[in-house]
Amino acid sequence: MSYLEYNRETVPTGFSKVLYVNWALVVLLVAVCAVGFLMLFSVAGGSLSPWAEPQMKRFALGLVMMFIVAMVPIYFWRNMALLAYLGSLLLLVFVELFGDVGMGAQRWIDLGFMRLQPSEVAKITLVMLLAAYYDWLDVGKTSRPLWVILPVLIILVPTALVLKQPDLGTALLLIVGGAMVMFCAGVHWLYFAVVIASGVGLVTTVLASRGTPWQLLKDYQFRRIDTFLDPESDPLGAGYHITQSKIALGSGGWTGRGLMEGTQSRLNFLPEKHTDFIFTTLAEEFGFVGGVSLLVLYVLILAFCIVSALKNRDRFSSLLILGIAGTFFLFFAVNMSMVMGLAPVVGVPLPLVSYGGSAMIVLLGAFGLVQSAHIHRPRGRG
Amino acid sequence: MTRTPLRPLARVIAARQSGQNPDAIERENLRMRHEEQRDKLRFRAEGRLFVLGICFFCAFVVIGARMGHLAASVPAEPTSSGVAELISASRADIVDRQGRVLATNLSTHSLYAQPPLMVEKERAAEELGKIFPDLDVDKLKRQFTGKRKFVWVKKKISPEQMQAVHDIGEPGLLFGPREMRLYPNGKLAAHILGGASFGREGVHSAEVVGVAGVEKQFDELLRDPARAGRPLELTLDLTVQAVTEEVLYGGMKLMNAKGASAVLMDAHSGEIIAMASLPDFDPNNRPRPLTSGDQSDSPLFNRSVQGVYELGSTFKIFAVAQAMELGLVNPETMINTKGPLTWGRHRIRDFHNYGNELSVTKVIVKSSNIGTARIAMDIGTKRQQAFLESLGFFEPTPVEMVEAPTGKPLLPPKWSEISTMTISYGHGLSASPLHLATAYASLLNGGTRVYPTLLKQDVKKAGPRVVSRRTSERARAMLRKVVTEGTASFGEVEGYAVGGKTGTADKPKPRGGYYKDKVIATFATVFPAHDPKYVLVVSLDEPVELTGPEPRRTAGWTAVPVTAEMIRRVAPLLGLRPSVEPGAEAAIVKASN
Repeated sequence: MSYLEYNRETVPTGFSKVLYVNWALVVLLVAVCAVGFLMLFSVAGGSLSPWAEPQMKRFALGLVMMFIVAMVPIYFWRNMALLAYLGSLLLLVFVELFGDVGMGAQRWIDLGFMRLQPSEVAKITLVMLLAAYYDWLDVGKTSRPLWVILPVLIILVPTALVLKQPDLGTALLLIVGGAMVMFCAGVHWLYFAVVIASGVGLVTTVLASRGTPWQLLKDYQFRRIDTFLDPESDPLGAGYHITQSKIALGSGGWTGRGLMEGTQSRLNFLPEKHTDFIFTTLAEEFGFVGGVSLLVLYVLILAFCIVSALKNRDRFSSLLILGIAGTFFLFFAVNMSMVMGLAPVVGVPLPLVSYGGSAMIVLLGAFGLVQSAHIHRPRGRG
Repeated sequence: MTRTPLRPLARVIAARQSGQNPDAIERENLRMRHEEQRDKLRFRAEGRLFVLGICFFCAFVVIGARMGHLAASVPAEPTSSGVAELISASRADIVDRQGRVLATNLSTHSLYAQPPLMVEKERAAEELGKIFPDLDVDKLKRQFTGKRKFVWVKKKISPEQMQAVHDIGEPGLLFGPREMRLYPNGKLAAHILGGASFGREGVHSAEVVGVAGVEKQFDELLRDPARAGRPLELTLDLTVQAVTEEVLYGGMKLMNAKGASAVLMDAHSGEIIAMASLPDFDPNNRPRPLTSGDQSDSPLFNRSVQGVYELGSTFKIFAVAQAMELGLVNPETMINTKGPLTWGRHRIRDFHNYGNELSVTKVIVKSSNIGTARIAMDIGTKRQQAFLESLGFFEPTPVEMVEAPTGKPLLPPKWSEISTMTISYGHGLSASPLHLATAYASLLNGGTRVYPTLLKQDVKKAGPRVVSRRTSERARAMLRKVVTEGTASFGEVEGYAVGGKTGTADKPKPRGGYYKDKVIATFATVFPAHDPKYVLVVSLDEPVELTGPEPRRTAGWTAVPVTAEMIRRVAPLLGLRPSVEPGAEAAIVKASN
């Protein structure tokens, strides 16, 4: 079913659209962001500066952006998908050539009022283009090899650019996020089986390449794998973060030490306490209960997205919602796993909570797309 | 796939008959087909979503479970054991037999630059040039202003130099801690210790690896963290080694020799108490190997272990001892010494003419080549080879140094009867001074084979017997007489009953033949002869003693007095007290009456 097939009359127009916004989702998003403000406030020792206040300002900006995006009809975004994708590729190339170097990687473009990370934008535009592609593609052709190669290329181009920065975490997120859209679009499962099998093979090869002249990863990446497998091997070096965050989670216990009582984060044991490792502060101050609560908020956001996608009979909308939800899921699943020592430290922020401008604005914009798809979903017969 | 036709003929005809539009049927069927397709698609999409949902759910469960697990865990501060181990895995000390330090580590700093952090690159380079005059300032400037992000400036710097570099105030000049190997006694035992240099180098540490001698031989052991810093104990005695080197150096100068070596060995255990080779070097600043010329003249060359020389008449005692062991002769047996002895094209002569006959003892005391050669002929080639092999002359010495395997004895390619004769008096077979000391110790300590060692071990392994006690005792008595009435009269050291054999061998020319005026003079001793405790072999390369009317080169004039001086100085340090020989006691009693 294509967008043009449904009856325009039933789709809300003008200010009445506001009534059709998925308000439950908005409330959930605001709640998660509020948790973020609280944690940033606490990490700064009970102060709005230096992190909580800018984060709030950016949240406000992001929220406005979300509503603007939501009010624009979804078919406009579908038509913009290819343009947006090409634009984000350009940004990636631009950052490669002129970007600022931060933390050993070339990732940022300075816009003056904020620093933009093009790889964040690429995650969303990739999902958009893939959704548009499968909306355009004849359903019967979905699993034909030629029509599978095209979306694979669409995924690999930005991935390669991001890998070059180098940012392994984002590259993996791009691949898995894109694959999720393809999976939902109904590409034959054998393709995925083959890719996963060869992925396992590749990992084995990469590990085997260590120390040889054709070493495929940088030494720091190997060291991260090492520390992931055995953090105690280097508790003051590369394993520092993991060890310290485990201590934080352990000392938080079931109910936590209470707001602003966390020692690990307050006493500066964790250098990245306000960004990638902010979850440790939450876990230390609010314990298991607090951590699971945040997890439940995330789960609810996902659940609302999936329900919205299921109810939406427009193929583009449904795939877009699923893709964004999947990317969101990957964000926090990878971040939490990494903080808790289930995955190597790959530098993925906790979505909507970690301090960081572009990630929050881009994510809220993406949820604007979800809202747009929700508002402008086909209604009426069948 | 069977498809229902969009315009089934029967229905179309029926519709026409009833006056309906047949196109409506087609539209209806098309719509139904579309819905069917859509339902299938939806069903598949929902299946996919279900799978994805399960994946999400599993991830949640895992993360939640992990959170609970960590929340329930007792937080433990990390111990720094892993890190401490990395740093303390430094090289173990090397100490002498009494625990005195021969090699240790010194914490120092390396100096490196990170040009991107530097403020005044040109000035920094110039200031560095003032502190370290050996640095090339122009090269430094180029390195600092170029694209390099990292430049080594100095590998080792002193605290004073470090302060001076601090005073430059340049943020891009940085220090890295590093350990360096220090030999606090300088040149002492240089050849044995060898030396160390840096292996893999990092900013925060550098690997110290042995490059020669014991340092290289025991490199892995010295670096083994499991030993936990336990030092490596050598058999050397620092004081004795120092005296040995001092006397040897003095003797070398006095005798105008170009090189010298000395080996002092415990006669019963094979432990090397002192071993020296001159010229020597300072292992703290190991010189580079010679790029041209004879490597055996390099200060790095260990004459005691690596150098193989024809050791001359010192070998005679082996032939005589073997003949006594085999029962062919006893000390009083008279040997025909009428010279010259002709064998084919070869003629064997003595230094002096000793008449027609000498007793076996006198053959040793007077050092008769002819007499020894005749005894060797009685022994025969096969038995001589077996005996020399049992004394270790066929293999490099097993001493624990990387250089030991290069000290491989030179044997005659074809061991003919003339070889047997010449080898009996020490020509035609080249061996190292350490070989000779080992063989003397084995022969004279009562007759059990010893193996030279530098490693202090509690368990002494008893070697196989090479000669009987009686033969050993008789051989010692003969060697004692060499000193009291023979060629080594300068070798007498009162109270220490030195016994020994001189050896003066013409040096071979590189292209064959022998020099007339270049010799290797060797004196191999055992002391005290009546109760053998130590074996000392001193060898001088090209000595010449010029105080007389004509230059004298024989060992009796050169190596012997040096050895005597050495024993005089070393014996008290070894804990030997001057004693009266059992045989001489009666004479003293008589005299006092």
